[in-house]
Parts: sequence; structure tokens; C-alpha cells
Amino acid sequence: MTIAVGDTLPDATFVRMGPDGPEAIQLGDIVRGKKVVLFGLPGAFTPTCDAAHVPSFIRTKPQFEAKGVDAIVCVSVNDAHIMRLWGVNSGATEAGILMLGDADSSFTKAIGMEFSNPKVGFYDRSKRYSMLVEDGVVTILNEEPATGQCEISAGGTLLDQM
Amino acid sequence: MTLTIGDSLPDATLCYWGENGPATVQLSEKLGGRKVVLFALPGAFTGTCSTSHLPSFMRTAEAFKVKGVEEIICLSVNDPFVLGAWAEQTGATAAGITLLGDADGSFTKAIGMDFTAPPIGLIGRSNRYATLVEDGKITAVSIDEPGVCDISTGERFLDAI
Repeated sequence: MTIAVGDTLPDATFVRMGPDGPEAIQLGDIVRGKKVVLFGLPGAFTPTCDAAHVPSFIRTKPQFEAKGVDAIVCVSVNDAHIMRLWGVNSGATEAGILMLGDADSSFTKAIGMEFSNPKVGFYDRSKRYSMLVEDGVVTILNEEPATGQCEISAGGTLLDQM
Repeated sequence: MTLTIGDSLPDATLCYWGENGPATVQLSEKLGGRKVVLFALPGAFTGTCSTSHLPSFMRTAEAFKVKGVEEIICLSVNDPFVLGAWAEQTGATAAGITLLGDADGSFTKAIGMDFTAPPIGLIGRSNRYATLVEDGKITAVSIDEPGVCDISTGERFLDAI
């Protein structure tokens, strides 16, 4: 089942790189009582994610904050090591975007956003989407029709909808 | 199953970062009629793999060639995009190492080398090992204990063959 506006996000355990190595972080702790932008994408270091999707949220972060957004979260089915390096290389970490790995794809599957494309080595990866989450409830949802595109799920689109 | 001298490696479809982006290759094409070193590790950009295991084969690549090894393959459960970025960061390709990805982990599972460590986000990844494969058959193998990078390093494996 695909997640829809009005649904409560399932809780999830993500991984990220902490000061002492990989650590777990609960989605519930991030979204509870907060206004959060969450966007998902197929994978670290992939062209559209790297060149368009992540930068679209780096550029718009101050405007999201002006609209009361407490955190911007990028979710990808990758491990903590990869998310750390990608966060540094892309400038996302410096910009203050949380780079979280849904390493076993359980969150991505729970919200019905998983896809596989063996030709490019993708198994149970995340479709491209963006959402606004208020106290755990999805209030805006944009799913990209094709993973190679980044228009409706880009930062600017979500910003205009708020 | 585990890796045993005399066994033939199963075939597998592996991915890599090619000149035009993601590409796939059959392992059997790499191994047929050739002498190949195949070593595997838990993942691109992970601490020990990047700082110790992969560099140990970059240092010894020439010495393996002197022993008749035609190609050195580094295998991990990663996608081709990640492998491309890792090759660029480490200089592995320039040093003569072929980075291949067992993206769905099926080869790693078939040879009994998979492990899962959810707290650090490693699911269905590969243990650390090094094998010498001649015409598809294993003629030498060194498997490290989980968390250890010792007998499967380039220097140690070079001494073993």
C-alpha cells in the first residue's frame, strides 16, 4: 500500500554516521511534534539524485525554515558509510540536511515506495518523492512518475505548495 | 556452502561502473580460461575496506601480475553508482583493480559468505575473503573472521599463493 495524505508515517529505524561510527535513529523521534520535510530517492551518487534532487533542497532550505520547517530529511536505501560520504560530497550535510539510510528498505517498503531495476543494480530502492510531515502525519505528498525525473518531487515544488 | 579449494565458483551477473554508466558482466566471462584473484569485502566506503583491504591489493597488484594473475577483482554488495564513486575516491581502477558489485547479494549468498549487521546498516553483505581462481576453479582461498582484515589482505594472500 502506498502512503497517502492524511496517513501517519510508520516508525522506522534509520542508520547514519555518528561521531563514534554508525548509529541508529528513530523516525518517530524526528517527526514527533515537528514539521518535517522528508524526501526519498533511488540512491547515493546516482546522477539525478546528485545533480538535481538533493541540490533542490539545499537551495530551498532557508525558505522551508521560514515556513516553520524544523528539519529536512533525505532517505535512501544505502548504508551509513555511503550516506556519510554522500552527505559530505554533495554539500547536504553542511547545509544541515539529515542524510539517513533505510538500509534494509523496511521503511520504503512500508510506505509502498520500493522498486527494483536489476539492470542498474537496484533492489528494493526508493522511488523519488517528497512529503511534508506534521507531527507524524503526511500533509503533502509528491511522487515522481519516473525515477529519472526530478520535477514534482523537487524542493521548489513542495515549497510552492506550502 | 563455503569456499573450498577445487570447487568451481557459481556464475553470477555482476554490475560495475562502465564508461557509459551502469553495466553488467557475467562472472564466468571473467574467469573462463584465466587466472584471476577475487577478493571480497563488506562494502564501499566502510572503514577497513577503504583504508586497509582495498589498498593492500592496490599495493600488490604488480606482484600478482608477476605471478601470472591476469585480473584482480574486488567484489562487494553495492550498486554500480556507489562503485563508480568509490573507484574515483580510492584510485582503485587506475591501480589495476576491477570493482564489481553483487548488487542483490545472490552470489555472496550462493557461496555462503553473506552476513547481516542491522545496527550498522549492512544487510546481506560479504565477509572478507581472497581467492585465486584458475579457469573458474578455486586453487587458493583465505577467509577472514568477521571484523578482521588479515589473511585476506593483498600481502598475506600474495605470500599464500
